[in-house]
Amino acid sequence: MMSQSLTMLPDLVLAAMLIGLAWAALSSDDLRRGVVLFIAFGLLLAIVWARLHAPDLALAEAAIGAGLSGALLLVALRDEAGGKETAGRVSQVSRWMVDLFALIMACLIGWVLWLTMYAEPAERLAQLANSMLEHSGVSNPVTAVLLNYRAYDTLLELVVVLTAVLGVLVVGRERRGYRQAGPVFCGLVHWLVPLLIVTAGYLLWVGAHAPGGAFQAGATLAAAGIVLRLAGNDAAGLLDGMLLRWSLVAGIGLFLLVGLGVTINGGLFLQYPEAWSGSLILVIESAATASIAAALVLAYRGGRPDGWLSVADYDNNREVSR
Amino acid sequence: MNNLLIWPVALPLLTALLALLWPRRSNWIGVAGTGLPLLAVLLVSWQVAASGPLELALGGWAPGLGIALRADGLSVLMLLMSALVTMAVAVYASVYFAHAERRGEFWVLWLLLITALHALFLSGDLFNLYVTLELLGLTAVVLACLGGSRESLQAALRYLVLGLLGSLTFLIGVALIYAGYGTLDMAALGDAIVAGPTAWVALSLMTGGLLIKSALFPLHFWLPPAHANAPAPVSAVLSALVVKAALYLILRLWLELFDGVVTQAAAVIVGVLGAIAVVWGSWAALQAERLKLMAAYSTVAQLGYLFMFMPLLAALPEGAGRELALGALVLLALTHGFAKSAFFLAAGIIMQRAGHDRIAELGGTARSLPVTAFTIALAGVALIGLPPSGSFLAKWQMLSTLFVTGQWVWLPVIAVGTLLAGAYIFRLLGHAFAPGEGVGPSLSVGREEIPAVLLALIATLLLGFWASAVWELVPISAYAGGGA
Repeated sequence: MMSQSLTMLPDLVLAAMLIGLAWAALSSDDLRRGVVLFIAFGLLLAIVWARLHAPDLALAEAAIGAGLSGALLLVALRDEAGGKETAGRVSQVSRWMVDLFALIMACLIGWVLWLTMYAEPAERLAQLANSMLEHSGVSNPVTAVLLNYRAYDTLLELVVVLTAVLGVLVVGRERRGYRQAGPVFCGLVHWLVPLLIVTAGYLLWVGAHAPGGAFQAGATLAAAGIVLRLAGNDAAGLLDGMLLRWSLVAGIGLFLLVGLGVTINGGLFLQYPEAWSGSLILVIESAATASIAAALVLAYRGGRPDGWLSVADYDNNREVSR
Repeated sequence: MNNLLIWPVALPLLTALLALLWPRRSNWIGVAGTGLPLLAVLLVSWQVAASGPLELALGGWAPGLGIALRADGLSVLMLLMSALVTMAVAVYASVYFAHAERRGEFWVLWLLLITALHALFLSGDLFNLYVTLELLGLTAVVLACLGGSRESLQAALRYLVLGLLGSLTFLIGVALIYAGYGTLDMAALGDAIVAGPTAWVALSLMTGGLLIKSALFPLHFWLPPAHANAPAPVSAVLSALVVKAALYLILRLWLELFDGVVTQAAAVIVGVLGAIAVVWGSWAALQAERLKLMAAYSTVAQLGYLFMFMPLLAALPEGAGRELALGALVLLALTHGFAKSAFFLAAGIIMQRAGHDRIAELGGTARSLPVTAFTIALAGVALIGLPPSGSFLAKWQMLSTLFVTGQWVWLPVIAVGTLLAGAYIFRLLGHAFAPGEGVGPSLSVGREEIPAVLLALIATLLLGFWASAVWELVPISAYAGGGA
């Protein structure tokens, strides 16, 4: 009993810190401070996932939740004049009301979760998912769920990522880049970028049998692009024009074509032939990694690059030639 | 077991990618990409009408482990509305956006919106529904941004934040359901869910999230600015289809999944909010000075009617009586979808010709744009609920259900709402048919006027005369607990 409570202690401290950080991030008046606290919150959450034996989630949270969201939030703050933005003032009363409401909802949801998880646990799908693993083409159950059992969800999630980036591109032009970095930072970049690319490749490959996969690999690859942009490469390593659009489309396009392709042989949509499923999943994941990375870097650039969807330029030329 | 069900989703998605790759051809790709899914939807409807509900287990995995797509009467009717309205609006948009700077993005997002709508109406899995809701909300927000003005950006940002809040709340409900019942497949859940704390809290969360998205009073405040400031083709689909998607999900949850869990008290609360929405929305539409704002407030009111059906449905035992009431609800939703999209397209035509949409200065519209004025009058007939429109039959059925269930209290609301709708439509027509310079001389019938008038004709004539088809399709249900 005593020893059990001793091993529980670090977890309890972790949980308390998590709640404290979340509260601090939300109640911070200085937006920059709030963003930094949010990044810290993301990293702590990644540790919590790891403690809960969910390494896939921990990786994704660290790469996307803390890393890329943090970078996007910081660069959005930079757009505002001086970066000394304060959060919009809300009256004290309505703030208390929202807090109270959130507290009541949290208690209610917590109580119901406790009821369903501990008081009367139901049979869930993990066992079934594990028992079908040998037919899925991969040995990492998380990848099996994401790319095989529930591949349709993942396909639509890739479409969500594409839509979000299109939203960024619709709203405005690309923000200005950074000036060329000094020699020390450039030296670091020469090491860091290849390292990130290799790491991304490893995460992608290892996803078949251990924690990793397209989303984590894409985020790591995007981090390489962000480092490049910070060092003064305005394109952040992205191609432009038609090739940029191909790299955005590749993941969804290949996924959809594979899904439709397997129906020619009489299969159902996304029903990979069992002998091929491992390779097909790897091909889809590779294309998805490239597309996710391109989308995230484009979002970091913060708007449409010059010549994006060159419809307008085409019209202007036509006007001139008249 | 066939792959027919994936085509209404796969075709618009595939063409969206093509439109992104070849933006200069995007006008053609966009119209073709809207027309091909329409064919697929017609095939699906024909199959469902002929041989009952369809199911497609994606990836060959049993539903539960995998995801199932399902089509039954309700989803087929929503699919038909969505495919027909988007087809007409796409033809209109090919003229509206013919030379716009951002037409490349418009067509990609447009096709993604169709993908999301069709995926939502076909999905048979709760988590997949969350993904489709997220996709639908995001495409709708980005399309609403395309106006480019400061107001439209502000309205779109508010729409985005509230939409995310709605989907997040929905997702918490889904998580609770999975924790409690160990599956996300809706057919299995229909049998498994029993009244209890898990079901109540999950249903409240999911319904709350969806009520934000379907803009029920008092959660409607984001709708008028977002719908009124978007480009006309976008407003048309936002008002006609996107809010209906959330309503469709509420119907699925309340009538099929949580059949035994919904209490009369909860239904009455939603009904009362609907009644307030009818009166308040109609009143605000009567006060509105701009045509598109009037149409947006009228959407708030019309959605109120649909929620007023909830206490009626909850009071009726399963069987023929409830199916009649449900059919009336669906008929009202369909009529509003067609009529409101026609109305917004007509408003867009007036705005393009006149350069403004101030109702008081619309004199002379009927003389210079006779077809468009006719469209507004026809759509108005359906919005008020005059015969022979589909909404007349729906309201008639609603009244008879009121008498059957003895819920007389709703009667004055329907009467006041209908009178107010008449008032705001005739106020508009009064200005449009008055003499004046208005929108300038132009007697030609533009290519963009035809889709609008066709949509209005569907709402007023086709749905009125073929309403029996709606009542025949609605009882074909793929889920236990609901329908026959």
